Amino acid sequence: MRRREFIKYGSALAAFTTASMSLPSLLSAQIAEEVPTGEEADFDLEIVDVDVELIDGSTVPMYAFCHAGQTPTIPGPILRVKQGSTVRIDVRNSSTRSHGFQIMGQDAAITAIAPHEGDGEDKIRIEFTATRPGSYLYVDGDNAPINRVLGLYGAFIVEPTNGFADAARQKPMPYAPAAATPAIKSLFSALGEATIGGQPARFPGKAWRPGREYIWIFNQIDPVLCRRIAAGENPTASEFQAQFHPRYFTINGLCGLDSAHDKATCPTGRVGEPALIRTMNAGLATHSPHIHGNHVFVLTESNNNGVPVYQESLNEHDVWTMQPMKTKDVLLPFTAPPDVPPAPWRMVQEKYPLRYPMHCHNEISQTSAGGSYPMGLVTDWHIDGPL
Amino acid sequence: MVTINRPMFDPQEFDTFGCHPFENDPSTPDRIARQVYVERQVSSWNVNMKDGSQLQFWGFKDPTISGSDSPWPSKIIRVKQGQIFHCMFKPSKGAHTIHWHGIEPTPMNDGVGHTSFEVKSSYTYQWCAHQAGTYLYHCHKNTVLHFEMGMYGVLIIDPVTKSPDTNNPNYLYDPLPGDSAPGITAGAPYSAESILVFDDVDPRWHTLDHNAGMCGDDVGLDKFNPKYFLINGVHNGRTQTDAKTVTKATAGWNVMLRIANASYSRLHVTLPFNCYIVEVDGRPLRTNPAKGWFSSPKYMAAGSKLEVGVAQRYAIWVPKIAAGSHSITGNFHHWITNNKHADGTAIAKINAA
Ligand SMILES: [Cu+2]
Ligand SMILES: [Cu+2]
Repeated sequence: MRRREFIKYGSALAAFTTASMSLPSLLSAQIAEEVPTGEEADFDLEIVDVDVELIDGSTVPMYAFCHAGQTPTIPGPILRVKQGSTVRIDVRNSSTRSHGFQIMGQDAAITAIAPHEGDGEDKIRIEFTATRPGSYLYVDGDNAPINRVLGLYGAFIVEPTNGFADAARQKPMPYAPAAATPAIKSLFSALGEATIGGQPARFPGKAWRPGREYIWIFNQIDPVLCRRIAAGENPTASEFQAQFHPRYFTINGLCGLDSAHDKATCPTGRVGEPALIRTMNAGLATHSPHIHGNHVFVLTESNNNGVPVYQESLNEHDVWTMQPMKTKDVLLPFTAPPDVPPAPWRMVQEKYPLRYPMHCHNEISQTSAGGSYPMGLVTDWHIDGPL
Repeated sequence: MVTINRPMFDPQEFDTFGCHPFENDPSTPDRIARQVYVERQVSSWNVNMKDGSQLQFWGFKDPTISGSDSPWPSKIIRVKQGQIFHCMFKPSKGAHTIHWHGIEPTPMNDGVGHTSFEVKSSYTYQWCAHQAGTYLYHCHKNTVLHFEMGMYGVLIIDPVTKSPDTNNPNYLYDPLPGDSAPGITAGAPYSAESILVFDDVDPRWHTLDHNAGMCGDDVGLDKFNPKYFLINGVHNGRTQTDAKTVTKATAGWNVMLRIANASYSRLHVTLPFNCYIVEVDGRPLRTNPAKGWFSSPKYMAAGSKLEVGVAQRYAIWVPKIAAGSHSITGNFHHWITNNKHADGTAIAKINAA
């Protein structure tokens, strides 16, 4: 059995950006977080060629990940592990092209897997220890950005082993207490409190609980380039970027009505059920997701290496910017919409569920194939009932 | 080869989500007595562009004021935090809506067709802003086109209290006991105010029809090639002299600079003075755990760059502005390549004496 050598990368292989970052911020991402816990997480991934049916019924050739032998999806399967786990990922390439695999911000990358390599005894495997809890993009980093934008991307999630903002009061959070900022701990401690200091508080209801989360991954599709590449053309990265003209704008691979209907994409819940949303941009356009009904707290923002940086200041946005390869965790607090008149006003004639959209405000992304507003990067979220 | 198929869908629902949104003229649900009342109607007119050409724009006019039919951006709306607000809206030339961008009312008052309805001939929007800050209002019908056509304006929610500093009597927000906002004077008191809305214009889009593309036709709304770059509707050849984009201030007093990006470009702004970001998207930056606020002002040294995302708003507090002419420079970059557009710079001024 031949094991391909692991390719380790730091700033050098994270080639999606040329901007530099300071050494202290690189180091701060690594503090005391690489202690292996002895837990193991094993995945068996496969890369395949697919045809993708778009919102208007047309199809384009793309690539996709799947759990080996199972149905391919775009984005690929969610890979979820615990901090400190030893993660082993076997990758087989059943596509007609050469591919790679890389998790941005983790110590995991492999390049140039030839077609049909890794599908026998001969495993192509990467193995690493999962660090810093948060949200990461995994991609085919080869031929960047082409293979990624053509469908080879997905979410790698690291959960804390003991993620409590306040363990005594049973206030979980999706990060480790030693590394989370005071502001993050304060926010998660405040969730579910009916009163603070004897006064009515902002977040009555429930604390956040692990699993109460959604993932939104954005991408754009240029059908002409997809077809040219499937027909055998090999544009360079700079040719691809110069010619990239997306006509479809996706959230979790879906557009418009399809994403608004997708249970995994459309957040639902009652007032007082805060939800974490892990947002990522696998594409080349800079998106400006805008949410109605509630602002979100921006909790983390990836640095230029894809490592999540826990925010010291939890700014509340109704629009947060998503540059290419950016990941941001945001908290949707699921409070009552704050700008309805206050009590004693009561909502009687208007009924639950309250439906609101979330859409990219660079409205070009709200189209598909040159029109069809709003069949683009949009979904809904629903407040199903009061506290 | 495997095909990844679209999920199953109901064709009728597909139709009302996009092509034929629900149009209606309901009475305002759960209506109560108002404290502020404004009216808006839809109008269209021609605007003279930098090169002498004329383009059609659409916007919201205030029918109670004569001579206000060419408002681009649409007339600013300012109300106080906590006031019950009503806006009677009468579209014409087809259905439109008003979305109160950053304000979070019930869905009926949110102005989005596919989650409520589009206004056929008349509706009174109702909401009560709970937080002072910087907002927008805009049409949310075929938004990709109607926002580009100019159907937007600034909405400012002012605080209830006044600053005791007589030189800087205006607050951005009401400071509360328990607030912590390191670096700034609580409430960000100011004297002069500069409000800058950056926009870009693709002339081809201004020849399109109200419902262009909505029923599946390819009208090229994926191709946005902006040729004109403006602030507050003033083209970038005049923004350093026009009264709409030049603010007078008193040296040594504080200035509030509010910036919004109404373009479809990445907007990179260079700030010419030492200043603080004190509010984003209608939310002041301060910490007060009892209130559920966990943010802090951000210091920006002179020369700092700030990316303002599409439809984001930033309020920037300039303490004790120095005498001189200060240039606020906005560079418009392509949303995919991030290359600067040709002629894609617009500069506003704050002149302090
Ligand atoms: Cu919207
Ligand atoms: Cu908006």
